[in-house]
Amino acid sequence: MAETLQARSPVQTEAGTQAGRGTAWSFVLAGIVGLAAAFTLLVEKIALLKDSSYVPSCSINPVLSCGSVMNTDQAEAFGFPNPILGVAGFTGLLTIGVILLTRLTLPRWFWWGIQAGTTFGVVFVHWLIFQSLYRIEALCPYCMVVWVTAITAFVAATTQNVTSGRLGLPRRAEAIGSYAPSLVIVWLVLIAGLILVQFWDYWVTLLK
Amino acid sequence: MKAPKTSPVKRNVIVSSLVIAAFVALVTAALTLGAKTANPSDRADAAATGTATGKLVRDDSHRLGAAGTGKVVLVEFLDFECEACRAAYPLVEEMRATYAGKVDFVVRYFPIDSHANAVNSAVAVEAAAQQGKFEEMYKRMYDTQATWGEQQESKAPVFRGFADELGLDMAAYDKAVADKATLERVERDRQDGLDLGVQGTPTFFLNGKKLEPTSTQDFRDKIDAALNG
Repeated sequence: MAETLQARSPVQTEAGTQAGRGTAWSFVLAGIVGLAAAFTLLVEKIALLKDSSYVPSCSINPVLSCGSVMNTDQAEAFGFPNPILGVAGFTGLLTIGVILLTRLTLPRWFWWGIQAGTTFGVVFVHWLIFQSLYRIEALCPYCMVVWVTAITAFVAATTQNVTSGRLGLPRRAEAIGSYAPSLVIVWLVLIAGLILVQFWDYWVTLLK
Repeated sequence: MKAPKTSPVKRNVIVSSLVIAAFVALVTAALTLGAKTANPSDRADAAATGTATGKLVRDDSHRLGAAGTGKVVLVEFLDFECEACRAAYPLVEEMRATYAGKVDFVVRYFPIDSHANAVNSAVAVEAAAQQGKFEEMYKRMYDTQATWGEQQESKAPVFRGFADELGLDMAAYDKAVADKATLERVERDRQDGLDLGVQGTPTFFLNGKKLEPTSTQDFRDKIDAALNG
């Protein structure tokens, strides 16, 4: 018993700090990339509002087409353009990431806030993915960048909260923390699979 | 820490690589299998329409002159009020003579918003097309563009005059112009164009590929290449 405890604590703290670094950098990168994408989308949206015949820079072909996605009701899910949420949210995420890089220890309630924010982000993004794939039937490259960053931020926050025991999950679940990057990859591959299947006919024509 | 464990980074790299490798293998397998089974029918289809999505040439899309062999299909997205389309018109006419029976000349409407009579003219041509006078009305629009283009008020009465001169059944023409379906037909062409990435007029597609000719000679060369290819 004593032996296991002894052996455990140094490993635990080591893993803890490592995960903390990983989380911080995940937030920073997701924040920067997400902010850039959301900002671009907002600028394109404004250009579209000024001139309805404007063709966004990311309208490349029938499937990869921002214009057809940005002009939908879903692009204003809460009555205002979605990228506004993105610009605000990713700025927040970036800020938190930078704060974490200072190795500052944040209170428990703050982590719950991060969990709430990233969970909202990931749920919203999956609603958008569903709408994009099966209702609008077009993909918007900048939006897809946001999908990736929102999923990354959610996995980073959740695994950090699980590993640190803040979510009160059994110890066994804590091992998941070290698999966060793999989790993101699996998740993205699943979505890539859905995209491939949904637009299969189109992808095949590109090869001919 | 007795048992030597692989580092978390290494484990993640292994798991991620395996997942991605499996995914790539699956896609490659699906592609090669799909290519084997779908090729014969799909290829013919793609050759006929230029694109498997079918947005380039619809069943009811208008052709200038008789249909060619289907080997080479030139699709033009145009706006009758667009001066650049007007400028390309003699070239298209010339190529129609040169490549008669060899190249399919397909016309799609793509009215530009900034032209006040772009939709009116397309609707008028479409109404004439319903009486089999597509080509006559198409020519008339370009021949007279200077007299009605670039003006703000509706030129629908002028177009109606063209229809009359062409000897159309005017009751049917008026009905077609007023019919929402005629406008929808024009709008669907435009939507197809937008979906295909058309940004302005005229935009040409040669066998499904957007054509950006640098000169009239380059245009002919590309068609020749497609014919010989």
